[in-house]
Amino acid sequence: MPSVRAGSRAGGEAGAMDELTREFLIESQEGLDRMERCLTELEGRPDDTGLLAEIFRSVHTIKGTTGFLGFKRLEKLAHAGENLLVLLRDARLPADRGVITGLLQLLDGLRSILKGIETEGGEGDGGDAELIEKLEELQSPALTAGRTKRTPAAPAAEVAAKAQPATPVAQAEEHAADVPMSKPRTAGSGATTAESTLRVDVTLLNRMMNLVGELVLTRNQVLQATAADPNMTMLSRRLDMVTADLRESVMKARMQPVSNIFSKMPRIVRDLSQSLGRKVRLEMEGQDTELDKSLLEAIKDPLTHAVRNALDHGIEPPKVRAAAGKDPEGTLRLRSVQEGSHVLIDVCDDGAGIAVEKIRAKAIERGLITPERAGHLGERELLQLIFLPGFSTAAAVTNVSGRGVGMDVVRTNVEKIGGKVEIDSRPGKGTTLRLRIPLTLAIIPALIVRSVQQSFALPQGALSELVHVPVEEAATAIEWIEDAALYRLRGKLLPLVFLERLLMPGATLREVADREHFIAVLDADGRQFGLVVDGLADPEEIVVKPLSAVLKGIGLYSGATVLGNAELALILDPGAIAVKAGVTMRANEDAQHGKDGDMDAGTATQPEYLLVEVADRQAAVPLADVLRIEQLPVSHIEYVGFRPVLNFEGQLLPVEDTGGLLGAAQGVPEAKVIVVVCREGNRQVGIAVSHVLDVAAGGSLFEAGTTRPTLGVTLLKKRVTGVVELGGIAPLAIGDEAPQAWTEPVETAV
Amino acid sequence: MSTTGMSTTAVAPHRKEKAGAEGAEMCSVRLGKGLFGLPITHILEIVGQAHPQPVPLAPSFVGGLVHYRGDVLTTVSLRQLLGLPPKEGAQAILVLESSGGLFGLLVDAVGEVLMVSAADYEPNPSIVDERRRTLFAGAYKLKSGLMVMLDPERLDPMCLARTA
Repeated sequence: MPSVRAGSRAGGEAGAMDELTREFLIESQEGLDRMERCLTELEGRPDDTGLLAEIFRSVHTIKGTTGFLGFKRLEKLAHAGENLLVLLRDARLPADRGVITGLLQLLDGLRSILKGIETEGGEGDGGDAELIEKLEELQSPALTAGRTKRTPAAPAAEVAAKAQPATPVAQAEEHAADVPMSKPRTAGSGATTAESTLRVDVTLLNRMMNLVGELVLTRNQVLQATAADPNMTMLSRRLDMVTADLRESVMKARMQPVSNIFSKMPRIVRDLSQSLGRKVRLEMEGQDTELDKSLLEAIKDPLTHAVRNALDHGIEPPKVRAAAGKDPEGTLRLRSVQEGSHVLIDVCDDGAGIAVEKIRAKAIERGLITPERAGHLGERELLQLIFLPGFSTAAAVTNVSGRGVGMDVVRTNVEKIGGKVEIDSRPGKGTTLRLRIPLTLAIIPALIVRSVQQSFALPQGALSELVHVPVEEAATAIEWIEDAALYRLRGKLLPLVFLERLLMPGATLREVADREHFIAVLDADGRQFGLVVDGLADPEEIVVKPLSAVLKGIGLYSGATVLGNAELALILDPGAIAVKAGVTMRANEDAQHGKDGDMDAGTATQPEYLLVEVADRQAAVPLADVLRIEQLPVSHIEYVGFRPVLNFEGQLLPVEDTGGLLGAAQGVPEAKVIVVVCREGNRQVGIAVSHVLDVAAGGSLFEAGTTRPTLGVTLLKKRVTGVVELGGIAPLAIGDEAPQAWTEPVETAV
Repeated sequence: MSTTGMSTTAVAPHRKEKAGAEGAEMCSVRLGKGLFGLPITHILEIVGQAHPQPVPLAPSFVGGLVHYRGDVLTTVSLRQLLGLPPKEGAQAILVLESSGGLFGLLVDAVGEVLMVSAADYEPNPSIVDERRRTLFAGAYKLKSGLMVMLDPERLDPMCLARTA
């Protein structure tokens, strides 16, 4: 390995700045990220020589390579930093707060030059004199102590400095030796894992994802075409499996641990708590939870903002905390955990919490809601108001947060990638902000709708229910206030948006009353409305393809996709439709206000369940895992060995039938069965049920005498109900054992 | 963007190699009665028998979307640009590459590749109206008539959106 590097360095020197410089940039940035982490840790353990050595190594490596590549400005700055670091490493200077601040400034300085090289190809000619002077000043206590030599750092620094430009090979070797040592985090343990990993260009990964998407489409078409041919069954099933595996592998390749963004937080917390005069301890958990790279990028800003907010508005100054009988040092917890097909990221502080009365007053003052409505809102609904644009409760506008561009931006950004933001706050105890992020963006479940004789895809994330308005009811069910169409959904007026009118504003409109309609009830960015379409087709897992800039500019479509029948479909953006159609947040407040209180209150803390009945017993399925509910003829159910399965759009789902519903219906040809299709990890499973009863938030139950919530049961509508343990459904294998009993999950749950 | 691996020799690979400054190979395109030309070096592929999917609310010059090698390609309707009535049935698409990425150009039919010489070239005559002058890049005088040159850069949807 050293020889290869040396060769490429020597050979590439003349012509290609590209390859070499790019590698240098990536490695330097990794080095600086490491340095940042170490510096923030150093503050707590100023005597840790290991940390100091690591920091020294990062700066030293940059300096060495820089000299070789001829970046003089970078070299000079790194050199100044290195001199200071030598003193620290050799314990001739204590790593006090001033020094650490200086080193952080050095880090920023180095970063900005690197950035310049990356974007403009050159170092630029900014002045670093001031920073260099400061770094020299910081050395002075040690310097005055040993004034005999002009630069006490000379022995170490000069030797290193001289050694570098001399022979490229030596430098390269030294550099290469640094690499495995310096990234234990990504490489696991030791050099062997470092060698088994590979750096891959993101564009290549994107291309692979694209091609896999293509393969998925082709597979869907092959499956449709060969469905009738028994000779092809085995082959197409195999194609199906391989494609699914390949898709999963490629998706996995795009995953990155959240530590990539968590690692930026210690620095932010440190800087902010200093400038705001707070004492804060940062705790991080679940850093190895993985998320698609593009999503990770997308949540970086919202997360940073949430952290800033927690420090600025959440955690009180030490004196206030002490007066309230709290530990003067506040705690900020970042926690990340995967839950089904989502990753949850919690930002928890133990600060003052949010006073709902203040929110009420502020919202009225800002004219965001009327006083009458504010009087009716419950605590949780009031908390939701902080997500409205233009809302900010900070008494003084600081440069940290409190400019009114706060939580609404967090919410918009997270919702843009199909995620959700939830908030929970207890006055005096603290606030928890939860970001719920989907695992991947590239392939999403969508409902295919028809309008203007075309198919459109509607992401299921925003879809809350579907309403069919038959032709004989069209005249009465859809009501009008002037031009505004409304539908009474469980007694509340739901604003309706006719997709046809939105898409063809100039066209002569067809009469609404004499045909059937389908209303897709959507909840987008807190706006609830019904999108009226002409027809519905089956839901599909769609591969999202980006649109060209000119079509993105229309603002109604978030992408396009190719359907299983090879037809192209535009993907509708529910949020944009709401804005375009003029559905406002106020309508949402109305809708929220009208919702069942318990259900609404449950969103942040209590999980929601689908309540089903199976052969006279009730059971609950976690709503987050439910993909769809299908009613289909019993004859659609096929058997693999003794296991009932459902061939759904070419995918084979195992169907759980502990209620014996399928067997009972077997003899009746026209019998229908309801199958709840759920997501379990990366697979889908079906559950045969007699009826779907309701959706409700479940309360935790505690085992008598303990504070431990019991697993597998929940309190739904004041009844203890078993929760279906989806993980307990055995994977499909030809001729496998009998299914587990899931109606008694207390026994099956581990 | 994802042009890697795509060959630019999709058009008439049997043709003799590119000529120097003296002449260039142009792909001829029919539209109504007109003859237009595009430098073959900018054409990635010709897709026949395409039925683009219309995009409601799109700028009028957008001819719709087509599926092309894993991507969804925005097409530009040359007929619409020139103010001609839309054509029924399948159309041919030239997949072009401009600095803004890939896009498709919808034409009635693609003709043969012609060798033209620089001596026959003339810039846009002043009598051509403003709109067309922004689209056309001069013309070649052929024996059979004029071949109006099109410049992929100027037909790029983003560019059209700015000038339209």
